[in-house]
Amino acid sequence: MTVRRVAITGLGLVSPYAPGEGLDDFFHRLCAGESAVRHLLTDDQPRPLNMPFVSCPDFDPDMALGKPLASMMDRFAQLGMAAAFSAWDDAGLSRQSGEENRDSWGCSWGTALGGTLAYEKGYRELWQKGRERLSPLAVVLGMNNAANAHISIQLGLGGVSMSHTVACASSAVAIGEAFRRVRSGEAQVMLTGGSDVPQAYGVARAWEALRVLAPGNAETSAQACRPFSSERRGLVLGEGGAALVLEEWEHAVARGARIYGEIAGYGTSCDHSHLVKPEAAGQVRALRAALADAGLTVADVDYVNAHGTATAEGDPVEIEALRQVFGPHAATLAVSASKSMHGHLLGAAGAIEAIVTVLALRQQIAPPTAHLDALDPACAGVEHLTQASARPLRAALSNSFAFGGSNAVLALRAAS
Amino acid sequence: MKAIELIREFLHERLAADPAAVVPEAALADLGVDSLMMLELMFEFEDRFAIKLESDLKAPQTVGELATLMEALIAQQSAHSDSTP
Repeated sequence: MTVRRVAITGLGLVSPYAPGEGLDDFFHRLCAGESAVRHLLTDDQPRPLNMPFVSCPDFDPDMALGKPLASMMDRFAQLGMAAAFSAWDDAGLSRQSGEENRDSWGCSWGTALGGTLAYEKGYRELWQKGRERLSPLAVVLGMNNAANAHISIQLGLGGVSMSHTVACASSAVAIGEAFRRVRSGEAQVMLTGGSDVPQAYGVARAWEALRVLAPGNAETSAQACRPFSSERRGLVLGEGGAALVLEEWEHAVARGARIYGEIAGYGTSCDHSHLVKPEAAGQVRALRAALADAGLTVADVDYVNAHGTATAEGDPVEIEALRQVFGPHAATLAVSASKSMHGHLLGAAGAIEAIVTVLALRQQIAPPTAHLDALDPACAGVEHLTQASARPLRAALSNSFAFGGSNAVLALRAAS
Repeated sequence: MKAIELIREFLHERLAADPAAVVPEAALADLGVDSLMMLELMFEFEDRFAIKLESDLKAPQTVGELATLMEALIAQQSAHSDSTP
């Protein structure tokens, strides 16, 4: 079998800092340790949502997508479509298919919640407002594959169009599956990524009940998410959309595309032990599978973007897995959790973190974990970055370890 | 409200259609109304006038056809409510 290389030629996201600002601004702020977490206080009665949260408050779907398109979508699809357009434009590809045959090009999307907000709106209409019927559009707004369907239609992608729902690993799996399709030659180009909107009232309240959300008020929310810290109190949810264009290497070179970096490997596993209690052994298997798939040794890896959600249970287990896999190399392995700044985007987490990882490789700067003044001794044993670090970065991993025990690791290489 | 004004308002709100382009002879498809948007329009219309459209209704092709259909149903509805004590 011919082994093809997979280039990353386009990146796009709805920035949690300032929509309209590009990737450089996003990465610059991450490197400066700037948090996008704010205090969310809704007007829901009788109990508002009251928690640290990351939202894209200035995101204007009508402006980003045009009114006719935006009105056919729930917010998760709007965020996804906007990110996809932005990645596609970034890759220098035209939105109309034109001369080129796009019958093998596809979309692989991640979302944990899909159109939950559309269904929630329906419940409110029926139960709170006493309406008797729902808009017929509710079906196509709510379906989990709405984002990838719209993306395939808008970009003329005639190959596979699919969504992956694997909790917090959804978009890491979506990217990995897209990577495999390009590597195998099934698809020349894949648009991939993820989007989610965890501010759905029932969803946010359920996460709260699970006692894994960090508390915070108007003053403290920005510092609420503290992965690996002895002061960590839990994760911070966020909405968002992030997209990548994966392209067969020779195709990218032939059209003179800018190559940000390369996806070199993808490893998956299941802890098969507990729904919410992660296990190092399962994570170790996914990490080793990704390295083997990429043909990398532990000595080749210079940075790991950790899953690092800042839960009491999760963080030490992830570091334990890294210690086991990297052995004597662990002590000098640069690790950071960018969730400390952009929050946990659930089904979009793997995608925004893959973007962070590829930008780190591109710019040869590893971003820090913010608010990590007091390292939890249980999380020691790797080089935790508390400041951005300019250093040679040849290859990097992006970890996504989901509830349900589903683990996905992406291995990326700097462009060469 | 006259039917055509309701159609103008709806198409402007949903599709940002120029109200000046919403004239009786305009084809609904040219204004961006596909089968899904037509369902939504019908839904809005039923909601606004508290009527129920037949499910086997033949889909109108132009703004004029749609307006005529709507006006007939509105007239039926008001005749019905006049006769109700």
